[in-house]
Amino acid sequence: MTITSANALPRDCFQDMGELSCGDLVMAMLKALRPLQPGDVMEVRALDPAAPIDIPAWCRLTGHTLVAGPCGPDKAHYFIQKKEDA
Amino acid sequence: MSKLLVSITHSKDDTDRATVGFVVAGASVASSVETVVFLSTEGVRLSQEGYADDIHEEGFAPLKQLMTDFVDAGGTIWICSPCFKKRDLDENKIVPGATIVGGAKAVEFLTTGASSITY
Repeated sequence: MTITSANALPRDCFQDMGELSCGDLVMAMLKALRPLQPGDVMEVRALDPAAPIDIPAWCRLTGHTLVAGPCGPDKAHYFIQKKEDA
Repeated sequence: MSKLLVSITHSKDDTDRATVGFVVAGASVASSVETVVFLSTEGVRLSQEGYADDIHEEGFAPLKQLMTDFVDAGGTIWICSPCFKKRDLDENKIVPGATIVGGAKAVEFLTTGASSITY
């Protein structure tokens, strides 16, 4: 586990989603989270203006935990912990 | 698990609607929602292997990729049987993950708690 420079939260992987939005964004997050172990934390950088609404909604739907975000210098970083029974 | 039926009624006659339908379906299945894409009327043409290969709306992923990602993520595609027959399409060229169904199947899904959205 490493420490991100965004806000010093621990995470197991980092995925830069850039300008991905809507279905493309959540599909990319699903794919990125799959290889992780339950309890692992994925840091996502997402620049789409809807991301602050969509990422928390996706976490509520899937059961993964939004540990923090949006945060970081660009307010575009999210820390998502994979649920235990995934 | 919650359910969503995404009804897609267009193909090359309106590639924007066809694409956005699969974008929303992808968002749904990737959000742990049991998701069915119901292809009807002109939408049934998307069920044919190769048909969607050259559909790429600006600002979106190519339609073929959206369809593949949707099925790989656990989504289901249903094809309206009479719409398929009317257009004389080929049962041997149906894309992976798609099944020809009658209206009763869609009605059953909707009446067991699924919401729906149409493109």
